Amino acid sequence: MRNVWLVIQREYLEKVRTKAFIFTTMFIPAVMGLSIFLPTKMATMKSSKVTHIAVVASSQATGDAIRSQLAERSQDIGGKYAVDVDLTATEAEHAALAAKVKSGELDGFLWATDDALAARSVTYTARNVSDFFEGVALQAAVTMARMQLRLTAHGIGPDETKDLMQKVSVKVETGEKKASGEFMFIFTFILGAMLFTTVLVYGISVMRSVLEEKNSRVMEVLLSALTPKELMAGKIIGVAAVGLTQIAIWAALGAVLGGPYALAASQVLKGVSIPPATLVFFAVFFLLGYLLYSSMYAALGALVNTDQEGQQLQIVVMGPLLFAYLMMFGVLRQPNSALAFWLSLVPFFAPLLMYMRIMVQPPPAWQVALSIALLIATIYGMVSLCARIYRIGILMYGKRPTLPEIWKWLKYA
Amino acid sequence: MPSPTVQLEKVRKSYDHFVAVDDLSFQIPPGTIYGLLGPNGAGKTSTLRMMIGITVPDAGQVRLFGEPFQRGHLRRVGYLPEERGLYKKMKVLEQLVFLGEIRGLSARDAAARARRWCERLDLAAWMPKKVEELSKGMQQKVQFIAALLHEPALIMMDEPFAGLDPVNATLLKDVLLEQKQAGRTILFSTHRMDQVERMCDSICLINRGRQVLEGEIKQIKGRWGRNNVHIEYEGDGSFLRSNGLIQSFNDYGNYVEVRLAPGADAQQLLHQVSAGAKVYKFEMVEPSLEQIFIDVVGKTDA
Repeated sequence: MRNVWLVIQREYLEKVRTKAFIFTTMFIPAVMGLSIFLPTKMATMKSSKVTHIAVVASSQATGDAIRSQLAERSQDIGGKYAVDVDLTATEAEHAALAAKVKSGELDGFLWATDDALAARSVTYTARNVSDFFEGVALQAAVTMARMQLRLTAHGIGPDETKDLMQKVSVKVETGEKKASGEFMFIFTFILGAMLFTTVLVYGISVMRSVLEEKNSRVMEVLLSALTPKELMAGKIIGVAAVGLTQIAIWAALGAVLGGPYALAASQVLKGVSIPPATLVFFAVFFLLGYLLYSSMYAALGALVNTDQEGQQLQIVVMGPLLFAYLMMFGVLRQPNSALAFWLSLVPFFAPLLMYMRIMVQPPPAWQVALSIALLIATIYGMVSLCARIYRIGILMYGKRPTLPEIWKWLKYA
Repeated sequence: MPSPTVQLEKVRKSYDHFVAVDDLSFQIPPGTIYGLLGPNGAGKTSTLRMMIGITVPDAGQVRLFGEPFQRGHLRRVGYLPEERGLYKKMKVLEQLVFLGEIRGLSARDAAARARRWCERLDLAAWMPKKVEELSKGMQQKVQFIAALLHEPALIMMDEPFAGLDPVNATLLKDVLLEQKQAGRTILFSTHRMDQVERMCDSICLINRGRQVLEGEIKQIKGRWGRNNVHIEYEGDGSFLRSNGLIQSFNDYGNYVEVRLAPGADAQQLLHQVSAGAKVYKFEMVEPSLEQIFIDVVGKTDA
């Protein structure tokens, strides 16, 4: 145990002190922060702008309805609209308006005559037509205005019309928990995304660490004092700890910088309580999944001789995780099917699929316990396997072993 | 009589397509210096690896300190691999402390001993530097310290003098002799026979995984007899050509090393040389290990 601890310590301290670690720890949040901050900034900058458009309609009422609908959407669009209502729907007027748009006197004009509305086909002519949000807002405004006009024509008052056009929200509740299913399974996707990126970055790191030792004679010195198993376990845990440290730093940064946003988000989700088990299982499955996949990368490092070879074979290691990620949708829909049951017990898929089942429709406790036990046993088995490959692999310099050779190694010693 | 520190009994190790070590037996008494000699690829490193538990013999037995090999023995063994046995990115002192700790020292002890050794071997200024910043010779010294830090009873060194200048080679040689005085057992593995020939008490010569020669150096040399002559002369060197007394020679101009033909009389050769040249030196010497090796291997290969 002491030896494992020494290896963990060395691995951890050496990695945490590298420039690469410090750089990525600082750089990635900076990029993420900017990518959130800049678009927000740009959007708010636009809000002071007034877009001047003309609405060509057959009646003043139509024009007014569209104007008021656009005013309601000014927030979505990120700007105000100054709307002129134009009742001369002639071809000459069309040409004149087009000229005004071209000269910059107008930003755009909407051709919404009764004929066009009846045909549900309204054209917007503008200089800048690339703004996606603007297009969506215009479409919604015209649709709503048309509906409002039609309802008014049938004698339904403006207040009732407004009420009718509101969305009805459907809350989904399970018997025990007061949380929407929609909301709960999001956790699984977050878990999957986190697992994926962390394994990808730190798996490679474990692999390199094993390779580096294997290609120098350090391993001879180490193996004259440590068992391969101690060495591998220490390495895997040490590098994993580095990854967790980075995540912890990011989480802390996120909490400090994103505090106000998180608060705002919790306002939106008001009434939805997150049961603590959700977070506990999140931590358990993330940690176990991370260790399992790291140990697979370590085995890969023990097997190959160069970085390039390792990167080529990465897909073999990442394959099961990818598969689990894809199967998540199936499990989400039928969490109690036999397929979901069996898949969620397979250790390589359990971190995502068992967690998904727990989130969507909690399975019996014994199933959860069994999948966790299997995961832990597999991690242990993986470390032993790595140790074995490592020990024998070091005797073969310069040549990638063939499958029969690997099989022979595993039986040996 | 104390049991030998190292004992190999009919050890055999084969890899996929070749036999690396075959039927190798020798023993090293405590407190002596032993040389495992042979050309590149003879099976020296394979033998050492079985002695530190990296690999297991296919047949035969390795015994350390009088018992069959077990991992617990490794605490009492110091091992110096053939170059590059250090983490390049790690600082010298931290590295030594780590290597000391995994051999059972406390962090404090390891640090204190590492400092003392670094001072002794002129590395004090380099302790906070990363290993990759050091010259090859300095790295070798760090490696050397790592092998001795935990005061092992058995020191195994694979090519210890590789890449060292004469000053540092002498420094390390002195340290090793000191270790021998302190009762430690030392095993060298090298292909540079001339470098260790004077330090070793006994040797084992191997070639192609097989033992060629084994025993105390004195006895081996005695067995070979003094059939080598070093001659320093001025004048006619024609005696070297077509001479039935001479089996082979190495000509350096006015200095020549001659190997006598079996049964040849050295006195007769002296007469021939002095007939045409002025003789400054005519010395009968023991053959070097290298010559013995070439001799034996040449015979077995033929």
